Amino acid sequence: MVRFNLPVLLILVLGQFSMGGPVRGVAHAAKPGIHVRLAVAQRAARTGTVEGRVIYKTDRKRPWRYARYYVKDRRKGFLAEAVVCLKGKSLKKLARPTRSKTTVINQKNLRFVPETIAIRAGDRVKFINSDPSTHNVSSQGTLHPFDVTMPFGGSATERFNRAGGSRRPIVLGCKFHSQMQAWIYVFDHPFFTVTAADGRYRFTGVPPGTYRIEIMHSAGGLRTSRLVVVRAGQTTTIDLTVSPDNRIKQ
Amino acid sequence: MTQTQLSRRRAMETASWTMAAVAAQMALPGFVFPGEQEDDDLVPFLNMPRSTRQMLDWETLDSWITPPDQVFSVSHYGQPKFDVNKFRLEVGGLVEKPQTFTVDQLRKLPTAERLMTLECSGNGAGKGFLGAIYNGKWSGTPLAPLLKSCGIRKEATEVVFFGVDQKVETIRKVKVPVPFGRSMSVTDALNENNLLAYERVGKPIEMRNGAPLRLIVPGWYGIANVKWLTRIELRDRRYMGRFMGRDYVTVRGERRGGKVVFVETSVAKMNLKSIIARVTRRPTKSGLIPVKAYGAVWGDGTPVKQVEVQVDGGKWRTARLDKKPRSKYCWTFFSIDLGTLKPGKHTVTSRAIDVNGRVQPSARDDEIALKKTYWEAYQQWPREIELKA
Repeated sequence: MVRFNLPVLLILVLGQFSMGGPVRGVAHAAKPGIHVRLAVAQRAARTGTVEGRVIYKTDRKRPWRYARYYVKDRRKGFLAEAVVCLKGKSLKKLARPTRSKTTVINQKNLRFVPETIAIRAGDRVKFINSDPSTHNVSSQGTLHPFDVTMPFGGSATERFNRAGGSRRPIVLGCKFHSQMQAWIYVFDHPFFTVTAADGRYRFTGVPPGTYRIEIMHSAGGLRTSRLVVVRAGQTTTIDLTVSPDNRIKQ
Repeated sequence: MTQTQLSRRRAMETASWTMAAVAAQMALPGFVFPGEQEDDDLVPFLNMPRSTRQMLDWETLDSWITPPDQVFSVSHYGQPKFDVNKFRLEVGGLVEKPQTFTVDQLRKLPTAERLMTLECSGNGAGKGFLGAIYNGKWSGTPLAPLLKSCGIRKEATEVVFFGVDQKVETIRKVKVPVPFGRSMSVTDALNENNLLAYERVGKPIEMRNGAPLRLIVPGWYGIANVKWLTRIELRDRRYMGRFMGRDYVTVRGERRGGKVVFVETSVAKMNLKSIIARVTRRPTKSGLIPVKAYGAVWGDGTPVKQVEVQVDGGKWRTARLDKKPRSKYCWTFFSIDLGTLKPGKHTVTSRAIDVNGRVQPSARDDEIALKKTYWEAYQQWPREIELKA
C-alpha cells in the first residue's frame, strides 16, 4: 500500500490544481519548477529511502592497525571511506547509459586522495599529480587494465565502462611508491555511495522491493551485507555495524 | 665454552627479552611503551602517507619483535624462481676444501640465534619510505666455523656472497648475466655474530625475505644480508659488483680547508639513528594539552648513551630509554613526557648520542647536507603535529 506523508500529499494536491490535469512529463511542462517538484514528489511517493550509518565496532583483542585513518572517533566508531551499495536483480533494468561524470583522484603526499571512490559505468576519473615526484597509476586485474605515468603537475583521464560492482573493484597502485593504493568501484545502477567521516549513507528514489545492502571497506579488508525491504514513500533507517568478524582474506 | 654454548645462553637471554616484550604487549593490547595509557589519544603526523602492509607502521608500533605483516622486503633482481629442493650452498674460491651444503645439512650444524634490527639503507630518504625496518630473531648456523672448516687460504682477503637472483647487466656497453652479490673482508666475515639463517622468529624464512637461506650480518644495513644465498667465494681481489661498486655507494662531500672533496664509500655498517614513532595527548586542561612522545633508537651495535627530544626547535631534553627489552643489535624504545603544549602546529624531533659521543645529525649538518646519494638516510626526522584544543 502506498502511504503519503503530509508534505508530499500537499505538493501533489497543489500540483494537480495548479496545472489542471495529470502530469505528462517534466520536459514538456509549462512551469518547470512546479513540475519538477511534482515529479520528485510523485517519484518519492512511488519509491523509498534507505539511510543510516556504518559503524566500526572495535575489538581490543583484534586491533585494526589502520583504523585511525578511517575511524576518527574510536568511541563512536563512525566508519569513513566505506562503500555502501544496494544489490538486487531489479536494479539491472537501471543499467542504462547516463551522462558521464568525472571524479578527480589526486596524488598528494604519496597518497591517492581519495583512496576509495564509487562511480557509475561510463564515468571518467581524472588522475592528477600534486607531488614533486613522478607517479604512476596502474590497475590490477582484467576489468580495466591501464598503466600511466605522470610527472609533477601531470594528469591523465580514464573512462570506466565495465561495472565490476561490489565484488570486483579496480585496484590501483603506483609502481614507484608501493604504499600507494586506491580502489574504484564501478556500478551499473545509481544506488551506491562512499561514507564520509560521519559514516552516513542515504539512498533516495529506491524502487520498492527487497535488496541486499552491502558494505565494503577495501583498505580494512571488511565486508558485510544484510537484507533490506524498501517500501514506497517510506524511509528505512539501518545502522550497519562491521567488526573484525567481517574481515576478508586479502 | 663452545660457540654453541655461548649461542644457547644468548638465545635464552634473547628469548627472555622476547617473552618480556610479548608479555608487555598482552598486558596493554595495542600499546607497548611504558607510561602510555589506554585512553591516550594518538596525534597523527601531518602530511604523511598512509601506512600499508609489509612496512613498519610507526604510529601503532606495538611489538619489539616486528609482526610478519609489517616486515618489508626489497629485491633488486626480483624474487627468483627456483626449485628449493635442489637448492645448495657452495663455498669455494681460495679455500683448501670447497664444500657444498643442502639446507638439511646446514640444519645439522651447531645452531644459533641472533636478534637484530634490520634496516634498508634507503629507509628515511623520504616520507614515503620510512617503514623499511624491522626487528627480528634469526635462527641458523654461525658463518665463521663453516668458513674455517673449509680452510681459508692465507691469500684470501675478501668474502663474496652471491644470491640465486640474477640479471643481465649492461656494464660499459657489454651485457653480462650477473648474480646479486655483496662482499666484505675476511675479518668482517669471520665476526662471530654472522649467521647463515634459515628461520626468522621460529618459522622458515619467507621466500620474499630470502628463503631458504639468508646471510645475517648484525649491525649492517639490509643490503649486506644477502637473500637466497647460494654461493660464498673467497678471493684475493676486491669484488666490485654493482651493489658494492656502483649502487649502494654513498657519495658525500667532506670539507677540507676551504674546499669540499667528494668521497665514495660502499654502504655497509648501520649508522646511529632515532625517530619519534608516535605522539599522544590527553584532554585539554586550562587551554594546554598534555603531550607524550615515544620512539626508537638503533645503530651498528655501539651502545647508545642517550636520546634527546626537542619541540619546535627548543631545548633538547633527555628521553627515558627502556631498560627492557634490549639487545646489542636491536632497537631500543624510548619515551618522554613533553609536559603541556599550546594548541596549534608543533614539530617534535629526536636525536641519538652514542657512548663515543657521535650525535645523530640533522638534515642541515654537513654529514647529511653534503651527501648526494639517498642511502644511509640517518638524519633527524622532525615530526609535524597539530594539537586541537
